[in-house]
Amino acid sequence: MKIRPPLIALTCAVALALSGCNLVGGSADSGDAGKVTVTVALVPDPPGASEFYRQQFDEFEKANPGIAVKVLENPSDQQLNAVELMFQQNNAPDIFRAQDDGMDRMAARGWVAPLDEFVTPEFLKRFPAGSMDPATSGLHRDGKLMSLPLVWGPWSTLRVFLYNEDLLKQSGYDGPPKTWTDLERMATKVTADGKGKYFGYAPTAAKAPAVEMLADTAVPYSVPATGIDFRTGKPATSSPGLVESVELHRRMQAAKVMMPGWESWDGARAFKEFAAGRLAMYATPPWHVAEVRKLAPEIKLGVTGLPVPAAGRGAYLPLSKSFSPLWSMSAKSAHKAESWKVMDFLASESFHNAYYKKFGTLTALDSAWKAEAEKNPDQAAILAVAEETMRRAPNPALASKGGRALTDALAAKPDLKHTDAAVSSIVKNQPFGPAAAQLDRDLQTFLDQTSTELKAKGQEGSAKDLTFAGWDPLKDFRPGG
Amino acid sequence: MTTTVERPRAKVPAAQRTPRRPGRFRKHLWSYLFLVPMVLLFGGFTVWPLMASWWYSFFDWDGVGTPSNWVGFANFAEVLRADAFWRAFWHSLVFSLAAIFVELPLALVLAILLNNSWLRFRNLYRLVLFLPVVATTAVIGIVIAILLDPAGGLVNRILLDTGLVDQPVNFLGSTSTALPTLLSIDVWKGFGITLIYWLAALQTVPKELQEAAEIDGAGFWRALRFVTLPVVMPIAIVILLLVFQRSLNTFDLVRAVTEGGPDYATDVVPTYIYRFAFDPSLQAPRYGFASAAGVVFGLLTLVVTLLQAPFLRRRLDGGRR
Repeated sequence: MKIRPPLIALTCAVALALSGCNLVGGSADSGDAGKVTVTVALVPDPPGASEFYRQQFDEFEKANPGIAVKVLENPSDQQLNAVELMFQQNNAPDIFRAQDDGMDRMAARGWVAPLDEFVTPEFLKRFPAGSMDPATSGLHRDGKLMSLPLVWGPWSTLRVFLYNEDLLKQSGYDGPPKTWTDLERMATKVTADGKGKYFGYAPTAAKAPAVEMLADTAVPYSVPATGIDFRTGKPATSSPGLVESVELHRRMQAAKVMMPGWESWDGARAFKEFAAGRLAMYATPPWHVAEVRKLAPEIKLGVTGLPVPAAGRGAYLPLSKSFSPLWSMSAKSAHKAESWKVMDFLASESFHNAYYKKFGTLTALDSAWKAEAEKNPDQAAILAVAEETMRRAPNPALASKGGRALTDALAAKPDLKHTDAAVSSIVKNQPFGPAAAQLDRDLQTFLDQTSTELKAKGQEGSAKDLTFAGWDPLKDFRPGG
Repeated sequence: MTTTVERPRAKVPAAQRTPRRPGRFRKHLWSYLFLVPMVLLFGGFTVWPLMASWWYSFFDWDGVGTPSNWVGFANFAEVLRADAFWRAFWHSLVFSLAAIFVELPLALVLAILLNNSWLRFRNLYRLVLFLPVVATTAVIGIVIAILLDPAGGLVNRILLDTGLVDQPVNFLGSTSTALPTLLSIDVWKGFGITLIYWLAALQTVPKELQEAAEIDGAGFWRALRFVTLPVVMPIAIVILLLVFQRSLNTFDLVRAVTEGGPDYATDVVPTYIYRFAFDPSLQAPRYGFASAAGVVFGLLTLVVTLLQAPFLRRRLDGGRR
């Protein structure tokens, strides 16, 4: 067969043209000439967020004709990996959503731009007084502002207890359980009365997060969160309060009190079951309240504080920082000034008010929602629970570099946390104590090893950085006593 | 005495001689050209990741930038010491065993029935059995979870109403029933494709052979044993290996239905690897460790496959005879 070079060239040209290849390069932006495109990588969460963000950015574009906002959406569990890939491909978004540890993961790679050059005193005045202090804001790293918040400070760590007033009444209860003993007794009765149609209680999701939520009322928050008691800097998974929280769930599981099937529930299942009237009580982050109300506007929903141990409260829920990080600007952004305008909009009162109205979430600018929230029974209850059950708590990651290094190291070892052992204990009906003691031994070994490694590298990080000797978890923590 | 007669070498006409290399290359240029996209894709998406994962497995690396923290065989040692890895490997192996010992023979029996040209609506039956193969696993996972829900799911309602059980069965939430439930779903979902393999194999049996067996007075069973099965045996071995490989790599079903739970009772090696490489709850992913787990899994798969070789060779030889 004779091959004609012109034929090959023609074939290649047609193929390249069809595949849209551009051998001479060109701009990826296809927007209007003269417009700067700012790319925002976000998570379409909660449901309806895609349309909400688009509407908001459309309004922003009207007010800022020189800027076009391009939205990139990723599922929440893939957001960090997706943004990391974009950075590695030199195709980073200008602004991205990276929550809590996710922001630190990005900052550790040098991908987060400090925002201090853009921030003005007027901008800071939007936030509650004192909340943007670099030492406690939760948004600063090494004194530099690295992120802007979306939600109200207590929102991330606040936990509430939801109950269906009608279902409790049918079993003869006028109010929610005050103690763990009440909870066990009431849940048992409600499940028995439900006869398989509804159930008294469920531990919220497959990893039984309710264990940690209830334990937060018994032991310092750091024990269920990291395995360490920040009063001593020592492993404390075997603390009686945490062990009893697991044992409480183990007993209820063995007695078939808890709603069956929770072992494979995702994070949204509990509020769906509650809204459908199949679940009478559960502990939860506050955002479930609005979801329940959306699904069942007429349900007799009660929102209260978590039940405490029968012997009395041992700790309050932590307020360890003013805010959780959420919006960050890329250090590689070629349009930092324009990106800041978008971030400024995302931290504006109008945006926060719109977000509150759409999703019922209490946002970082309390002036945008406080008056309305106090008139809304569900939200007023959330505010009351926060006021009553939260106290300032120490945060080693903000207190010292060594504390940051150790908490980062602990976050990378989820197998040293109580979660898997607790679930195993509950579903297999085995005592949690021995597993907790083993976790404490493993945790101590890990801490010693990590401290040694950090020391060898000339870095800080020892048990001292995790110790706040004067802290009383029943009182507001004040740095320096 | 042996006489050797040398044949005179025939003169090969110039036109019939094997063309020289450049000439041959030019002759088949189009073939090579058409192969290029496939070679590029195979190299880029199969060979390169495979080689790269071997390299990465020697580093403590979070997947960002160039791996630099060389740890030698430490990741491999950690994988081999991890009980969780071996538990996941055992679960993966159980998926394979279920496919080989349940799905494969069942699909063969049904293929023999559906291969009967006298059977009415056989194409409809084939379609129905093949439907789960083309259905999206995530959708199947959601539907199955709803059907099997212990609190009001259809299956439990039927079981309770008919008095077969007195308490709802927690199919996906109990450590004792979750794995068997997933195995059943996996067998059901993969059944259609194995059936198609068998039907294709059965259609390679020459009609003359079957007719000859019939004329010789062989009944259905004798024809099956002495004609059909020996003829399809070489293809059966390929089917066995395909089914083994597919079921050993079950991932999407577990991820969609149980995410490896409860208490890792359904964790398989692909979900184990996924957790270390992509779990957002990790402060930094452990790509190096995940790569090492992948390499160990690959080697173990190779070993298990090779262990089948003597048996398969015997069956293959038997089939040829």
